[in-house]
Amino acid sequence: MATKLPPRSPDVQVYRPQLTSVLSIIHRATGVWLSLGAIVLVIWLASVAAGDGAYTLVRASLHSWIGGAFLLSWTFALYYHFCNGIRHLAWDLNYGFELVSIYRSGWLVVAASVCLTAVTWVIALLITG
Amino acid sequence: MFIKSSDQVSRWRLIKRFPVPHSSSSPRSQIEPGKTWPVPAGAKHTQRLRIYRYNPESGQNPHIDTYTIDRDACGPMVLDALTYIKDTIDSTLAFRRSCREGVCGSCAMNIDGTNWLACIRSLDEVGDPVDVYPLNNLNVIRDLVGDQSHLLAQYQSIQPWLQTETPSPSNRERLQSPEERAKIDGDYECILCFCCTSGCPSHWWNGDRFLGPATLLQAHRWLVDSRDEATEQRLDALEDPFKLFRCHTILNCTRTCPKGLNPGKKIAEIKLMLQQRRG
Repeated sequence: MATKLPPRSPDVQVYRPQLTSVLSIIHRATGVWLSLGAIVLVIWLASVAAGDGAYTLVRASLHSWIGGAFLLSWTFALYYHFCNGIRHLAWDLNYGFELVSIYRSGWLVVAASVCLTAVTWVIALLITG
Repeated sequence: MFIKSSDQVSRWRLIKRFPVPHSSSSPRSQIEPGKTWPVPAGAKHTQRLRIYRYNPESGQNPHIDTYTIDRDACGPMVLDALTYIKDTIDSTLAFRRSCREGVCGSCAMNIDGTNWLACIRSLDEVGDPVDVYPLNNLNVIRDLVGDQSHLLAQYQSIQPWLQTETPSPSNRERLQSPEERAKIDGDYECILCFCCTSGCPSHWWNGDRFLGPATLLQAHRWLVDSRDEATEQRLDALEDPFKLFRCHTILNCTRTCPKGLNPGKKIAEIKLMLQQRRG
């Protein structure tokens, strides 16, 4: 009889998304997204050094709808990664491992990053008008 | 939304799967549609089960069969439903079971997307239909029976036995104070059902080298045992970028443990032990 390799049972295809795994993958995604944001930050700084024309162009791009959407996503990514990073630091010190604490701190991170993003944008829009 | 203990079933019905294509698995693991078995005659109170089937002799890919059980003729648990199907509908259904009371760990499987023991998961807590798969990311021997050789080899690799250098006392056992004994609470209760390891995304991606939560919980059990004298060698063996440090504190393990243990916390404690040893 021909030996056929056995199938592999499904994992990510069937496993239910839950706060633990979803927040973890968002942490990684925001990390990657922030690295890309850092490049944009460098482009922005370089455009200041490069002079009027370059800066006007970069400023106009970031002030467009799409630029604004990107900036908003980076603001959220920054706050989420920061807050969840603190959560990870607590875990590294062996705090907050009870299931209740895991869920409480998880939702706290979500709420805090949404609020901080909103506050930052309200302030920014109030200043720039 | 808030989970207080690992036996709670998620009420979150919004997203039941991660948005990954089902075809993301290898060709031989692609799941095909199966057959729907007839409803038992005269059944008033029914429930459906969609069960992962694979027969190595058929040469075909795995498929999902749908069964309807008569709740009035069947016991209250998911394992009872599987036994009912095997007895009255389809005797070819294969699954592991033994104690039927959450002590042996044989009937661990993926029920409605979460790993749990079929014998202590009530049919009232699961959906209609309920999806039943084998433990994740294992080679399937048949139906719900996964090949645990690799998981057990990983368990063996941490040398899960008492290691000493001092000669054993001639007239008595090696004694422990109640405080010393209490240090292995939360470790010794593990039944090695591997619900946690097969529900761990890190173990899905790096299972060849990452030991996984069940084995690391056992490693912790021997590290904190006051009678064991090989602590340093055990820590040396774990100080590895993959074996221990592929744990990214996702904590699916703590969420899913049917015995209510906390593998995530124990792994963090091992990481701290390594950190403190470095000074």
